[in-house]
Amino acid sequence: MGRRHWPLRGVVLLYLGVLVGLPVVFLVLKALGHGFPAFWSEITKPDALSALKLSIEVAAIAVPINTVVGVGAALLVARHNFFGKRVLDTIFDVPVAISPVIIGVALVLAYSRIGWFGAPLTRWGIMVLFSPLGVVLATMTVSLPYVLRSIVPVLLELGVDQEQAARTLGAGRVRIFWYVTLPAIRWAVLYGVTLTLARTLGEFGAVLVVSGNITGVTQTLPIYIFDSWDQRFDVLGSYSGALVLAMMSMAVLAVLALLRRRERRLRVDLA
Amino acid sequence: MSISLKHLTKHYGSTNAVEDVSAEIVHGSLTAVLGPSGSGKSTLLKLISGLERPDQGSVVIDGEDVTDVDPRHRDIGFCFQHYAPFRHMNVTKNVGFGLKVRKRSPKEIDARVKELLALVKLEHKAKHYPAQLSGGERQRMALARALAIEPRVLLLDEPFGALDAVVRAELRHWVKELHQQIHVTTVLVTHDQQEAMEVADQLIVMRSGRVVQSGDPLALYERPATDFVHEFLGPSTTFAGEVARPHDLELVSVYQGTMKGRITSIVSLGFEAQVTVELSDGTSTWVQLSRNELASMGLRVALLVGVRRRDDVEF
Ligand SMILES: Nc1ncnc2c1ncn2[C@@H]1O[C@H](COP(=O)(O)OP(=O)(O)OP(=O)(O)O)[C@@H](O)[C@H]1O
Ligand SMILES: [Mg+2]
Repeated sequence: MGRRHWPLRGVVLLYLGVLVGLPVVFLVLKALGHGFPAFWSEITKPDALSALKLSIEVAAIAVPINTVVGVGAALLVARHNFFGKRVLDTIFDVPVAISPVIIGVALVLAYSRIGWFGAPLTRWGIMVLFSPLGVVLATMTVSLPYVLRSIVPVLLELGVDQEQAARTLGAGRVRIFWYVTLPAIRWAVLYGVTLTLARTLGEFGAVLVVSGNITGVTQTLPIYIFDSWDQRFDVLGSYSGALVLAMMSMAVLAVLALLRRRERRLRVDLA
Repeated sequence: MSISLKHLTKHYGSTNAVEDVSAEIVHGSLTAVLGPSGSGKSTLLKLISGLERPDQGSVVIDGEDVTDVDPRHRDIGFCFQHYAPFRHMNVTKNVGFGLKVRKRSPKEIDARVKELLALVKLEHKAKHYPAQLSGGERQRMALARALAIEPRVLLLDEPFGALDAVVRAELRHWVKELHQQIHVTTVLVTHDQQEAMEVADQLIVMRSGRVVQSGDPLALYERPATDFVHEFLGPSTTFAGEVARPHDLELVSVYQGTMKGRITSIVSLGFEAQVTVELSDGTSTWVQLSRNELASMGLRVALLVGVRRRDDVEF
C-alpha cells in the first residue's frame, strides 16, 4: 500500500471507528464501569444465565439442523435437475430478503391455535408459540440460507469429475459424499456454519414475535438485553448482557476471518 | 474383454451427442476414437462406462449386457479428460482409492499401490498432492488409479490433451508399451490423427455423433470411405476433382502429366517441400516432394509442369 493511500485509509478507519469502534468502547466502559464484580454479578443473575443458556441451546439445535439441511439442499441444487429446482433455490433466499419481524408474524399465523399447523399440533398437545420450540423454529428460519449459499458456488466450480471418477472406482453415493465431496467443500461448509451461528446468536425480531418474551422461559440473550434496558430500566444488566453477546459474536467473527484466509489459500492451491 | 456397442443413442436436449453408434471392440485391442471437437467422443466413453445412460441401444461387455449396470459395478477404469485427481488426497491415497472401496487389507493396498507407482514411474512422488505434480505426472497418476482396480476395460479420454508436444510424444509411446505389457482392452479418445495412427490398432472415426468409418488404421488411411475421413486422417488436397494425398502426387514434364499447370509457390520444410500448382482447369493443388526430388528437378515459381498420381505410373 503506497503513501498516497493514507487519506483514503484515514477516512475508512474514521468511519469504522465511529460506526463500530466507539459503540464497542462505550459498551465495554459502561459494562465494566462499576468494576468487574458488579459486571460478574449482573451476568450471573438467574434471568441472565437462563437467557444465555437458552441462546446456546437454541444455537446447538438450530445450527446442526440447518447445516444438514443446507448441505443436502446444496447437493440437490448443484448436482441434480428436477422440476421446481428454481423455486426451491429462491425459497432459501426468502428469510434474508424479508424482515425477521415479518417471518415472526408469519410463524404466529401458521402456528397459532387456529393456524394451519397450529390447530392439529395444539390438539396433540404441542405448543409452538410462546415456547422454546417456537424460538428454535424462528431462529432456524432466519438462519436457513447461509450454509446453502456458501456451498453451492463451490460445488458448481468443483464440477462432477472427481465424483464420477470415484463412481467408476466402485464408490457408492454415501462414500463419495464422505470421501470425495465433503473434503472438497469442507471450508465452505465451515464458513456457512459460522455465518449460521452468528445469525443464530444475534436473532432478535422473529424470536421476539413468536416467543411472547417470557422471562426465564423464552428469553434469549438479545431479548434479555432489550428487555432489561427497555422494560426494567436495568441499564447495567443490559450492558453486561450486551458485552457477553458481543464477545461471543467476536469469537465467531475471528473464526470466520481465519476460515476466509484458509479458503483463499486453498483457492490459490487449486488454481 | 471385448466390447460391443449396439445402436447407442444419446441426446442432450436438441443436441444429438451420440447417434446410432454400433461398433465391435476386440479383446485386448487398443482402439482410438477419433473426431473433431463436439463429435461425441467423450459422450461415447461415458456411455460405455455407464456414467451416462443411453436413450437407446445397449453396451455389451464380454457377452454380458451391462446397459443397466451401475458404473461402480462395471469394473471399468476411466481416465478423465482433465484427469480428475482427488485433490485432497496424496498420490498414494489417490491410487489406492479403488482398492479401499473394495475393502482390501491395508497391507495388500500398500503393496499394490507401490507396484503401480513403479509401473507409472511415480515412486518418488508417492506423498505429493496433485497440485504439486506436473501435467504428465497427474496423467500417470490417473492412469495408475484406474489400473488399480484391475479393470476389464480401460477408457482414456484425451489422455495427452493438455500436455506439451514433447511430453505428449513420450507418454504416447509409454501408453503403447504399457498396453503391450498388460493387454487390457483399451479405448482412447483423441482429436489428433497422428496420435491415433501411431498408437491404435483399430480406429473409429466420428463426426456429429455418428461413426463415419472404423477399422484398421492403415486401411482407413489408404481407403477412406468419405472425403471427411480422407481429410481428417492426414494431409489432403484435391486433384482432378478428387481428394488426394499430396505425397501421392508427383510433378513431371508438361507432356507426361494427367493435368498441367503453373507453380505458384515452393515452401521448403527441410526434409520435405510443398509445391503449390495452379492447374489449367482453374483449381489449385499441392504436391509433397522429398528434399532430393526438389533438388534434382530444378523447380521454380512460374514454371509450367505436369501433375499426376504416383500410382498411375507402371514400374
Ligand atoms: N452434459 C451435457 N449436457 C448438454 N450437452 C452436452 C453434455 N455433454 C456433452 N454435450 C454436447 O454433446 C456434444 C458432444 O459432446 P462431447 O463432449 O461428447 O464431444 P467430444 O467429441 O468429446 O468433444 P471434445 O473433443 O471437445 O472433448 C457437444 O455438442 C456437447 O455440447
Ligand atoms: Mg471430449
